[in-house]
Amino acid sequence: MLPEEIRHRLETRIAASAHPRELVVDVMYELQNHYGFLNDVALREVAELLQLTPLEVEELATFYDFIYRRPVGRFVLHVCDGVVCWMFEEQSALDYICKLLGVAPGETTPDGQFTVLPTVCVGYCDHAPAMLINGKLYGPLTPEFIDRTLEELRSISCDLVLCR
Amino acid sequence: MPYLIIDNRHIQVPRGTTVIDAAERLGIMIPRFCYLKVLGAVGACRMCAVMFEAGPVKGLQMSCMVQAADGMRVSTTHPEAVAFRRQIIEWLMINHPHDCPVCDEGGHCLLQDETISGGHSRRRYTGAKRTYPDQDLGPLVQHEMNRCIQCYRCVRFYQEYAGYRDLGVMGIASRIYYGRFSDGALESPFSGNLIDICPTGVYTDRPSRFLARRWDLQRADSICLHCSLGCNTVAGAHYRAVIRQESRENVRVNGSFICDRGRYGHAYANLAERPRQSRLDGEPAGWREAAREAAARLKRIAAAAGHSAIAVLGSARNSLETQIMLRYLSHHAQWRPPRFFVNGSEARSTAAVVARLDSRLAAGLPDLEEADFLLAVGVDPVNDAPMLALAMRQAARKGAKIVVLDPRPVELPFAFDLLSAGLGDLPAALAVLVKTAVSQAGTDGCEAQEKAFLAALPGRVPDEKLQGQLGQAGGWLAASRRPAIICGSAIAGPELAGLAADLALLLQTGKTPSRLFYLLPGPNAFGAGLLQRGSRYFPSLLQDIEKGGVRALLVVENDPFFRYPDQDRLHSALGKLELLMVLDYLPSRAARAAHIFLPGATVFEAGGSFINNCGLLQYAAPVHEGGIPLAQVSGGSHPPRAHAPAPGSEKCPSAYEALLFLANELAIRPPTMDASPWSLLPEDFPGQAELLAHPYPTDGLQLLPRLSEAESLQTPVNLPTSGPAAGALTVLRVEQTFGSEELSCYAEPLRQLAGPPLALLHGADADRAGVRDGEQLCFEIGGEKVELALQVTNRMAPGQLIIPHHYALGRAACRLPAVVAQAELRGLTGQDSPDLPQAITES
Ligand code: SF4
Ligand code: SF4
Ligand code: FES
Ligand code: FES
Repeated sequence: MLPEEIRHRLETRIAASAHPRELVVDVMYELQNHYGFLNDVALREVAELLQLTPLEVEELATFYDFIYRRPVGRFVLHVCDGVVCWMFEEQSALDYICKLLGVAPGETTPDGQFTVLPTVCVGYCDHAPAMLINGKLYGPLTPEFIDRTLEELRSISCDLVLCR
Repeated sequence: MPYLIIDNRHIQVPRGTTVIDAAERLGIMIPRFCYLKVLGAVGACRMCAVMFEAGPVKGLQMSCMVQAADGMRVSTTHPEAVAFRRQIIEWLMINHPHDCPVCDEGGHCLLQDETISGGHSRRRYTGAKRTYPDQDLGPLVQHEMNRCIQCYRCVRFYQEYAGYRDLGVMGIASRIYYGRFSDGALESPFSGNLIDICPTGVYTDRPSRFLARRWDLQRADSICLHCSLGCNTVAGAHYRAVIRQESRENVRVNGSFICDRGRYGHAYANLAERPRQSRLDGEPAGWREAAREAAARLKRIAAAAGHSAIAVLGSARNSLETQIMLRYLSHHAQWRPPRFFVNGSEARSTAAVVARLDSRLAAGLPDLEEADFLLAVGVDPVNDAPMLALAMRQAARKGAKIVVLDPRPVELPFAFDLLSAGLGDLPAALAVLVKTAVSQAGTDGCEAQEKAFLAALPGRVPDEKLQGQLGQAGGWLAASRRPAIICGSAIAGPELAGLAADLALLLQTGKTPSRLFYLLPGPNAFGAGLLQRGSRYFPSLLQDIEKGGVRALLVVENDPFFRYPDQDRLHSALGKLELLMVLDYLPSRAARAAHIFLPGATVFEAGGSFINNCGLLQYAAPVHEGGIPLAQVSGGSHPPRAHAPAPGSEKCPSAYEALLFLANELAIRPPTMDASPWSLLPEDFPGQAELLAHPYPTDGLQLLPRLSEAESLQTPVNLPTSGPAAGALTVLRVEQTFGSEELSCYAEPLRQLAGPPLALLHGADADRAGVRDGEQLCFEIGGEKVELALQVTNRMAPGQLIIPHHYALGRAACRLPAVVAQAELRGLTGQDSPDLPQAITES
């Protein structure tokens, strides 16, 4: 169940909007940040808040890379799969990360630390190849840089998945 | 009018025509997947690429996205275009399964056709294909998502065109998925159209799954008989069963689609319990023998008690040929003129509609789509005539304001204003609304008679809130330029129909020239309305039977027991008859009660003409010979391998043929068989006889007069304002999309969607009566129980108890009281200790 405080805040925003439907991404983020991912309960709550059908929310939730419909790790590695990054890749950063962590794209490491997701251009082409981890940009990616970054991440504490 | 050249052929097309449509006019079908004329172009699939060789557009382009223009030279066979399309189809086939032999779409699949015609016949891709789980979408539509080629037709139809919100597209790229959020029956009553429009086998017809390839079907153009709109279909029969219907385009009626009631309502034609055996006094008899005996008895009765001791009851589901034959027969045999409606109010409403509708006023469904203001009164479109709702939605999508004035909690797949008014208040409320509009728009064009009529209209309704809403809606009407009034006939009486015509005429004198669209009670109610002239209504016939004035009744394709409120009276009256002769294809109660019974033929076997609610005469072709479906004869095993007559294969004569036979036996000059049915009644239809010969134009023949001769705009205006007394609830029996209409309610898949029998009550009435949503109301009538799940809603007019007709309700439901006291309701829930809040009980 959504805490009253969040619900109230969202309802106020929605009431003030001329086209509540426009807020759907914001509302999905709020609920995702609260629950850790957009589970079915959260999805139905989004639908109810915005008077959409669950299907209509699902259409959008599954369209956007940054809405997670399944549980994710503490850190979500959105590894860029965009054209500019391809040009800079002799060795694929995505393959390297997957091998390093022992997961396939879309999977989470068994210790719940990392989820790896390929994504479209993250807007960091000038540092290609790039990736985005919990809202922070990293690049240019080299095997050493990736090793170091993941090592650092393992040691910091962060409870929430932040997407922006 | 742009003039262009396609494949070296010249053509001129209206401005705005796309090149893909221009080519189609030349008979050149450019391959396409996403493009569908009614849905418009999106250019998503890239399959329609052609080469623009000269003119304003150059190079390889999508023909669905380019409008025809002067000087264009287009080649559909240019090597580059052909190569491009071959690659597209190969790419679409990469993930598509290669198992057409087990796919139900095989044989009528656009993807099959275009794979072949696109030149992709050898598979080069050897990798794994992406696969998906399928969903259970309910009893009508089968889902096989692996076959999808991502053309988006389904979503664009389901959400944009039809306005339902439970099927869509999820995921992206190779995870793209078309379906529902989770398993469950599709909510749209238009869901079957997915089957027709999906270019591959993702959605197929579930009830006929794996029964036949389309090429195995006997197919013919048919007309839907499940409401008065007369939507066009193609019906397909296989092994003597009608198994599948598809929509057939008619731009004057249903456009490209049909509703699910129409698509799946045909099961009554295949019923195991369908009567196939003629009976004489309860004993099986040969068809001719029974018919001869009927003629003999009719002669005896006429000799003993006079010709007027014989009466005839047809129906609104009779074909026009049958109705005309009934009229011919009763005229020449000097019997009483035929009646067609058991319900007197339906008979009178239909008479009013037939008298008033003319081509000045009449709007068709396509006109409604173009309207900028729609006022529906006494209509619940999705439940009464589903395709009406789809037409209204198209108007709404183009920005029309839509107002519904009705006691029911009407739901529609678009934004509209529901003005709740009790049944008795509908005429007055309609008058107030239009009066406001005309007064606002000005009465400059009005003559004295119109002014007097306007002045005589009521200006107020007692309910303040409703008055305010009517005023506002009147303003919208005054500001509109292409308004239309939609008037129902199922719950409101003839007064409303007449008033709607008067008000539309009044509006036509001013700046808001309104059109008018009526619904009628039955697929050929219009024909019945034309032919019932001079006859009195069924209740008076019952009286005559009781008094002994009528001794024989010939019932053709009707079941008086179906909904007649006073079942006991009906039973005892029909019991008094010396001869009750029934001819029908339904296993009806009347059929069982008949002294002489003749099995009838359905529209799929007999064909026939039907006049729809707009006065459009259309012809349904026979689809197959009929007979007992082979599956029933063979007990599910392989159909017989030899071409011998199988048991039950005798063809049932159509009602028209049976009546001809009877006429012959009665020595009535038989009409010439090849003449049009209208020529039988030259005195009734002067001038039409020559006009109307089979075959009618495929899109129907408009029968309306230019100007109706009925009196209009008469003052004083007498509007009934019979509200229920305080504390009383008017019981309203209404239609439901599925499970209530006489023919389609036999279809099992539709029964599954009908839900439980309901009673609907306004919140304020529920509070006063001390009953709650979800409680069970139980009426005990003549030892039978009628159980209804109570639904409480504030979206309806107070003072009514709305009970939809429902297949599962027994005969006792016909005898539900017309008025229920609020105070009684609590007792009906079986919980007699009311725990009401004090304040409410006192008020
Ligand atoms: S399901 Fe059919 S109609 Fe829908 S996108 Fe796929 S192929 Fe097209
Ligand atoms: S709207 Fe009426 S006529 Fe049309 S398909 Fe449905 S039931 Fe048949
Ligand atoms: S393409 Fe990778 S960040 Fe833009
Ligand atoms: S039909 Fe033109 S792009 Fe699909």
